[in-house]
Amino acid sequence: MTLLQVNNVTKRFGGLVANHEVSFQVGQDEVVGLIGPNGAGKTTLFNCIAGFHQLTSGSVIFDGEDITALSDFQVARLGLARTFQIFQASGDLKVVENVMVGSFMRTSSRGAARQVALEVMEFLGIADTAGEMMTELPVAAQKRVALATALASDPKLLLLDEVGAGLNHSEIDGLIELLQRIHGERGVALLLTEHVLEMVMKLSHRVIVLESGRKIAEGEPAAVVKDPEVVRAYLGDHYVKRQKENGDA
Amino acid sequence: MEAVKNAFDFGDMPRSELWLAALALAFLLWFPAMPHSSFGMATMIQFLMFSLYGMGWNLIGGYGGQVDLGKAQYVGIGAYTTAVMMIRWDVPFWFSMPVGMALAVGWSFIIGYPLFRLKGHYFAIATIATSLVLKDLFEVWNFVGGARGLEIPMKGDMPNWLYLQFREDYYYYYVILGMLLVGLIYMNGFRHSRLGYQLRAIKDNEHVARSLGIDVHWSKIKAYAMATAYVAMVGSFHACYNFNIEPEDTMSLDLSVLIAMMAMLGGAGSMWGPIIGAAILVPMKNYLGSWLGGQAGFAGMDLAMYGLIIMIIAAAQPRGVYGIVEAMRARRR
Repeated sequence: MTLLQVNNVTKRFGGLVANHEVSFQVGQDEVVGLIGPNGAGKTTLFNCIAGFHQLTSGSVIFDGEDITALSDFQVARLGLARTFQIFQASGDLKVVENVMVGSFMRTSSRGAARQVALEVMEFLGIADTAGEMMTELPVAAQKRVALATALASDPKLLLLDEVGAGLNHSEIDGLIELLQRIHGERGVALLLTEHVLEMVMKLSHRVIVLESGRKIAEGEPAAVVKDPEVVRAYLGDHYVKRQKENGDA
Repeated sequence: MEAVKNAFDFGDMPRSELWLAALALAFLLWFPAMPHSSFGMATMIQFLMFSLYGMGWNLIGGYGGQVDLGKAQYVGIGAYTTAVMMIRWDVPFWFSMPVGMALAVGWSFIIGYPLFRLKGHYFAIATIATSLVLKDLFEVWNFVGGARGLEIPMKGDMPNWLYLQFREDYYYYYVILGMLLVGLIYMNGFRHSRLGYQLRAIKDNEHVARSLGIDVHWSKIKAYAMATAYVAMVGSFHACYNFNIEPEDTMSLDLSVLIAMMAMLGGAGSMWGPIIGAAILVPMKNYLGSWLGGQAGFAGMDLAMYGLIIMIIAAAQPRGVYGIVEAMRARRR
């Protein structure tokens, strides 16, 4: 069943077209990757879906409801959670209290919120950091806390914006495994943007490629990386030409 | 019932802090029995009043990060409601105080709804403006006595608990101390409430807060209303304690700045911060300030001193005196 439906979304900032007529869908039990070179409009598209930007035209349907005109916090309450590219550590709250802010979306009881937060932290393997301050944690752990906070709000779909950024190889492997468990065991659909292509390729059932705000390709990861349009977008015309010449020779 | 449990749950505080708080409370309860001057007693009452003002400021300014420099307008609404009701309709303090709080909270919604569209310095400046406008209005409003203000007539028989009129100051002292205790317990409950956590998340990062389903604008307005209730409550007390109120001493910018400064000096965003700040600044204002202005002949020097304190705090430890304590504790671990 379709969970998220993005219809002809266009977002313009003055004269700059950040997204142009982008359409795609995400199913209830899918992991979809959104890739594209720098400035392709991935984060803008995320912001449009999450209600942070108002669309110039087009519509977004989530879980059968038209969310085009809703505010970001209203969209969140419907079960569409997200993480941010730049994550700010808190000075005032302990790790578990940070995660509780997520679970407070579904309950007003402190006890219940704490229980959900601890359960999610256990699931993500960061239960031992519950009593620490955010600023004391390394970046990889802070990202897990951000994930935990989003998960604690019990979402149906999780938008992940560059979760792999700034992590080393082994940390990325750990993250891939973690995201697979979030999807497999908790039944959360994932839509992720990533620079680390390896991660998108391993995780995604389907990949959507953006370039200059337009969708230029969509399909299975293995097929998409061979698409000449995608290769051109990532590596430039020269590379495609040279590859052709080599193939001819 | 969970709200009540949360309010009395001090389990997340370090043991040492609770011992210190208990010691401080014992001292405060015992103080009137100790030898003291009437100036000393007045200073202690002011300290308790400013602790509560500061706690109100801290609720939205410290936990919520919304710096408000217009708290005096709510002091004024509380004070004037009590005075007007007492003078015109002979209404007892314990009835006029909640009415004053309700009126102030109502006004805070009217002010808060548009003002929370602003952020940071713009919000702070706008709060100054609304407070000054209200003060100017009161100065020309004859119903409330204009610039001359109001005087509450004495009710013959004393002590009068209904109208809060006492000959000896220690009655006032215990009334405001009781208010402080109620305020502290309520604040502890607030810290543990959903809104309390959400507000701290808003202070951290509004985008993240919104992505977690928090209606940022409405949450700020709600917290602002709670903060207002604290300030207006003490404003009502102020009217009875002083017998005499005028716009200049209940609604001035000086008062607003003093309230904000005490909370910031003690430690914005912490439970004890405003009390620590008031404990330092009120005696300093009364003793050092009056000595500098009187015998030493440097009138206005105390204001320069406040400025210096704020600069030092802002540069050295933005989280105030309590922040210094926290930093030391973190280093020891």
